[in-house]
Amino acid sequence: MFARLFLARSGRFALALLLATVTLLAGIALFAISGWFLTGAALAGAAGAMSFNLFAPSAAVRGLSMLRIAARYAERVTGHDATIRLLADLRVWLFRRLVPLAPLARRSFRGGDLVARLTADVDALDTVFLLAIGPSLALLLAGGSLVAILHFLLPDAVPAVAAVALLLAAVLPLVLLRLARRPGEAATAASAALRTGVIDAVEGHADLRGLGVIDGARRAVMREADALAAARLRQAALSASGAVIAQIGAGLALLALLWVGLGALEAGTLTGPLLVGAALALLGLFEMIGPVLRGIPRLGQAAAAARRIRALVGTALPVADPAEPVPLPEGGTIAFDSVSYAYEPGRTVLSDLSFTLEPGERVALVGPSGGGKSTVLSLLLRLDDVGSGAIRIGGVDIREVAQADLHRHVALMAQDAPVFLGTVRDNLAIGAPSADDAVFWAALESVRLADVVRAMPGGLDAWIGEAGQTLSTGQARRLALARTLLRRAPVLALDEPTSGLDPQTEAAFFRDLAAATAGRTVLLVTHAGLPAGTVDRTLHIAGGRLVAGGGAPAPIRLRR
Amino acid sequence: MRGLARDARAALAVALAAPLLAGILLVVQAHLLAGLLGAAIAEGRPRAALVAPLVAVAGLIGLRAVLAGVGEFAGAAAAERIKRSLRDALFRRFAARPVDWVRGRTAGGLASAMIEQVDALEGYFARYLPAAIAAVFLPLAFAAAVVPVEPIVALLFLVTAPLVPLFMALVGYGAERASRRHLDAFARLSGLFADRLRGLTTLKLFGRAEAEVATVRDASDALRARTLAVLKIAFLSSAVLEFFAALAVAAVALYVGLSYLGLVSLRTNPLTLATGLFCLLMAPEVFLPLRQFAAHYHDRAAAKAATAALDGMFEGLPAAPAETPRRAQLRDKGPATLVVEGLVLDAPDGRRVLDGVGFAASTGGLTVILGASGAGKSTLLEAVRGLRALDAGRVLIDDTRLDGISPVALAERIGWLGQRPRIVHGTIADNIRLGRPEASAAAVIEAARLACVSEFADLLPHGLSTFVGERGHGLSGGEAQRVALARVFLRDPGLLLLDEPTAHLDAETELRVLAGILRFGRGRTIVIATHSARLAMRADQRLRLVDGRIEPATQLRPTLRLVHDARRSGGRPGSPE
Repeated sequence: MFARLFLARSGRFALALLLATVTLLAGIALFAISGWFLTGAALAGAAGAMSFNLFAPSAAVRGLSMLRIAARYAERVTGHDATIRLLADLRVWLFRRLVPLAPLARRSFRGGDLVARLTADVDALDTVFLLAIGPSLALLLAGGSLVAILHFLLPDAVPAVAAVALLLAAVLPLVLLRLARRPGEAATAASAALRTGVIDAVEGHADLRGLGVIDGARRAVMREADALAAARLRQAALSASGAVIAQIGAGLALLALLWVGLGALEAGTLTGPLLVGAALALLGLFEMIGPVLRGIPRLGQAAAAARRIRALVGTALPVADPAEPVPLPEGGTIAFDSVSYAYEPGRTVLSDLSFTLEPGERVALVGPSGGGKSTVLSLLLRLDDVGSGAIRIGGVDIREVAQADLHRHVALMAQDAPVFLGTVRDNLAIGAPSADDAVFWAALESVRLADVVRAMPGGLDAWIGEAGQTLSTGQARRLALARTLLRRAPVLALDEPTSGLDPQTEAAFFRDLAAATAGRTVLLVTHAGLPAGTVDRTLHIAGGRLVAGGGAPAPIRLRR
Repeated sequence: MRGLARDARAALAVALAAPLLAGILLVVQAHLLAGLLGAAIAEGRPRAALVAPLVAVAGLIGLRAVLAGVGEFAGAAAAERIKRSLRDALFRRFAARPVDWVRGRTAGGLASAMIEQVDALEGYFARYLPAAIAAVFLPLAFAAAVVPVEPIVALLFLVTAPLVPLFMALVGYGAERASRRHLDAFARLSGLFADRLRGLTTLKLFGRAEAEVATVRDASDALRARTLAVLKIAFLSSAVLEFFAALAVAAVALYVGLSYLGLVSLRTNPLTLATGLFCLLMAPEVFLPLRQFAAHYHDRAAAKAATAALDGMFEGLPAAPAETPRRAQLRDKGPATLVVEGLVLDAPDGRRVLDGVGFAASTGGLTVILGASGAGKSTLLEAVRGLRALDAGRVLIDDTRLDGISPVALAERIGWLGQRPRIVHGTIADNIRLGRPEASAAAVIEAARLACVSEFADLLPHGLSTFVGERGHGLSGGEAQRVALARVFLRDPGLLLLDEPTAHLDAETELRVLAGILRFGRGRTIVIATHSARLAMRADQRLRLVDGRIEPATQLRPTLRLVHDARRSGGRPGSPE
């Protein structure tokens, strides 16, 4: 699933790996040649021979030093650049995959947890190559080169050196990875729980303090912090013991090489300078042990994060687009035809509901709280599908229409419509991306918010905080309404557009509604008393059914 | 930052000492290894005669490995302990802040501060500090160890090694500033994600999801630019080190090699192969502590930037949780008195919301505060509850100034319902029990009945045990409000502060909820902010908030008054009439 994202950046990653291997080999060669040269010179000096070739080794030493510095710097910049590109790719990819799953809250994902998935999990994933896979591969490649050289110099030392290199670059990481899986999962889960806890406490701060229970919230958050610390410590213990094993393994390899090498020296099959060069090369190779080991716990965390992301995006779509969408007819009658709906079995919200809505009609939907009014609106938008029956627009079942077409046709102002972090203009532009200031101001006038915005520093460019907290509830509602009105949809579905407004503003709003929505069909859910002429007729919903009465100006036509 | 280390002294001491001890053992190990190679190559000693030094080298390698492992774990343990106490202190700070302070910040941003920014300190304590101590002492110790055998090489070490920190300080200064910008960008990105996810449904319905993908990509790209800027500088400092380390190896090899060949003769006695090899083995080791220090230098920069960010966000880093001073206790029974005098309160943007508000609530009665949307009713109730910092004036509860009352006593004495109550993930009963966690099942059921929660809960298959999602999904606005009201009904306050308790409710439900409030409110002082005329009719005192000041609300419609009086004739039990 993520492989495609990695492959898209594979060129940069391959370059980073090549540079890492070059860096490592240059370091090994520098140390080995220095040792070989030094020993050779000592032997030559003792023998009194002055014909020793100084030029080649000293040039090699200088060249390798420069190569190592340049390769190391280039490798780091390339690797990190590729990694951060991957991070952006992952975020965008995930965001895009989540859109069809909206509304997420109904699908029992918790907001805090989702944020955790998007930030912490993506961060855990992006470092996989740089910190875990890359160092291991570089160690394997450089180790392979060294073993190939030893094969000619000191064949008897090859098994020991190859075994240790393989142990360090492949076996130990895999074993530690397996052991690190559980603490890794625990750390990811604890970190997500900690974030959820903090976000819950921030968003519920006023309630928690008002009730005097915020210290309980602190203790709950600290329990998650402790769980996170415990998981991190288990990871640290694993990585520390891995390091001990690796260092001892490297020591054993050096011991084996010296034992075999000293034997060969005694037997005269190996010269002194070459023995010193080989020993120093081995010391140089194990410079990579540290980075390899440090990457392993991260690999475990990344695997856990990947599993969670897969689970999230793999959930079934709440509603799916038809294979061959039917175009939505302009100006058609909206008909609810024997619609039933339940959140879950046994929790029926609507049962056998039928009514029609003619083009240009303004209809109020009233009834007791929890009677199913908001559900009517969300079904009309296909935020979920009806349990039985059908909703038709101009005779076409909305399940046969592309969702994007339906959403262009019907604009919803939800009860919990958010104010987005950004400017007033950003918020309005969500309704009309290419509109100019005059259009925005007109929309603000129509919801009686223009004066408020004009008084803000920056006007349309005033920054409004999370959940519109620098706006009052009523002002936030009106901003959301202006955004909905800006959407050029022939049908408007408004869920309690005036909640949080004082009665004067509310009455004025309803008086303006007819003008503001002229020519559009309006389905209005409200508890407010409506001034005469606000709507053409009123539907009463209670217990998921239409009930008679309530002074509807025109009789309700039931379609059967 | 050092102040934070107080909580983890012992673990930190182990983490700092282990690398030093391992370094000293390294000198012995290099000496043995060089001697062994010299003996075999220059003196032609047989392998069988060298078993003892071989075993000693192997033992030293094992011992140093264990030391390094212990040090690494101790560092991690110290860091975790420090992070824990910092998180606890930060949460206490945040919890004690006025509500508008919290509202002015994003939930994602605060969460990122308490998680990522605190995590940014880990590297400082677990890796940077041990590496810094090692970098100060080990190069000097190594140079000192070389002095007796080869003073020229020791001099070379002593000259090149101190240059390294100098260069690194120059490079690291830039890295630190860049790192601070990087963390800012990360927090903003985190906040932006939370925000766009919260509005995902709206974005989808408005066909703007794809456009917001671009916003997210732009923000990620900005983060990439900042991060790379940090890293390019950080990597530069390690390149400086690589240069010196390679230079030292090359210089030692050349100097020793030329001495052997007699081309350089600065010594009185001839140089042995073992001594030369010892110098060569030590050359990279002199620079290794410095290289590790450089590798963790950005840990320090990140930690400093994080502490600066936390410092700015929380207005000072808490060193230790402050003791709550013992303060006045309130009466625990009977209606509370509430007097507000000359209350002035400005919004964070400087706008004056309350401009000299003064009133005395009707003790044991119902006071209703009316006023236009945005007039400051919610702010006034929050101020009375002690959730706001006052700019002037005072609030007296039971004749005691608000700031002289302990938070616990205040929570006991006041029942508070906010305008946007939060429903937590759990059952309806769990949510009600938030009001008093130790409440009995019977008390919860009674509170649910009184707040008309039962009206809708009884229709659910699992009743009060029905799970409700975060932010009250599955509950309508009116239902959530009633659940929050039931929380208040579980307690025994002398003063009820209710912000729009009947918003989102139809007329019939509103009357039933109001009846519940009045029943519970017998013998308690009630203050309600509302738009509802039906509710205002039942009040003993009606106030209106206009232009930041309180005035008596006299103009209820006459027809409503008649209904009001008719209802009144039924008598409100417990009201002082």
